[in-house]
Amino acid sequence: MTTVRTPPPPRLPVRDRAAGTSANGGVSPMLSRLADERATGVLIREHGTLYLADGQVVHAESPSTPGLDVLLAARGVLDAEAWREAVAAAGARRRVGRFLVDHGRIAEGALELCHLGALYDAAYFVLGPSGSPTRFRYGAAHWLGPVHPVPVAALERETVRRRELLHRIWPDPATDTAPLLRSGLPAGPSVPLRQEAVLGRVDGVRTAADVSVALGRPAFHTLVDLRRLAAAGLVGAVPAPQPPPLPGVLTQPSADPDVALLRRLRDALEAL
Amino acid sequence: MPGIDECLLEAMTLPGARGAAVVDWTSGLALGTVGDAPGGDHETTAAEAAELARLAAEHSAFAPSDGSDWSEQETPVEDLIISNRDSYHLLRFVRTTFDSSVFLHLWLARSDGNLALARIRLGEMAGRLVLG
Repeated sequence: MTTVRTPPPPRLPVRDRAAGTSANGGVSPMLSRLADERATGVLIREHGTLYLADGQVVHAESPSTPGLDVLLAARGVLDAEAWREAVAAAGARRRVGRFLVDHGRIAEGALELCHLGALYDAAYFVLGPSGSPTRFRYGAAHWLGPVHPVPVAALERETVRRRELLHRIWPDPATDTAPLLRSGLPAGPSVPLRQEAVLGRVDGVRTAADVSVALGRPAFHTLVDLRRLAAAGLVGAVPAPQPPPLPGVLTQPSADPDVALLRRLRDALEAL
Repeated sequence: MPGIDECLLEAMTLPGARGAAVVDWTSGLALGTVGDAPGGDHETTAAEAAELARLAAEHSAFAPSDGSDWSEQETPVEDLIISNRDSYHLLRFVRTTFDSSVFLHLWLARSDGNLALARIRLGEMAGRLVLG
């Protein structure tokens, strides 16, 4: 995959394929190139950002999933006050993660587990199909600082594996993004508690991302649970509203649409 | 206070240890790995072990009589033990203070592994990993 270079600004956008996989197996050719050149900075895509340090991914954020702060605040591990204190003390040095561990706010293992979970989770959405150009800002670093860097290749492999996992559970992606609706079938005792918690937040308005924030749970976990619930016939997506029919001659119903189309074509040609 | 890597290296000091991993059982993601994996592929092993762990964690047949609430102080299911002709697999659920679905996976050679010792030690490591 080659990138066309132009003198900045403006830089030509690198548009990733909708299917998300390029010839070399990566999900983003630009990301692979940045890993090869051991770049440091932030990759900005339509559904979020990836922070790189020396070509490894150190942090990821996406509006589709709760961030580390939300996940850790949900059960009261770290409240907003603790985050504010840590960011004020160590944010400028980009060492907030280290500060939290050194000051006994959270165990190192717990921070690593939560951070890695959140990183892979956000990256799944960031590396999803994107309709807008990818940009990279060299030199930018996140205030959290490195906690447990992840190689780009591992992140890309995991992202592809996650897509396949969802597809295997239930092939319809509608529940990933649309507002969710219960089917009305009784849940029954076979629904595990974790899925029951998701089911309890489904109200015809919330999306998977909303449910994840409400539960303080990584969004990919919610996607998995929703696909299982959809496979069990308990949850579906609210159907998108049908666009109103266009007024006018062109949309007049006909018993045979092909005949109607040919007649209109003939009329138009004769009128020339 | 140990991180994931220190925890895994400690697991490898147990007699007969062949490999170890920290795995998320909802996604099947290996958060950390060390040593060997059956078949040589940690990622495949993690995904397969996650399926097993999920069944044990979610099915009420394996839950204690007072319920299977994973948000409590202790995990309802503590560990899973698989023995085959030449090795043991020990899966230990990790209780975190945030919403998660994580377990430790230890692969032991049957010839020199000590299952009882490994089970106790792995439980201690799971506690130290998240509580420091």
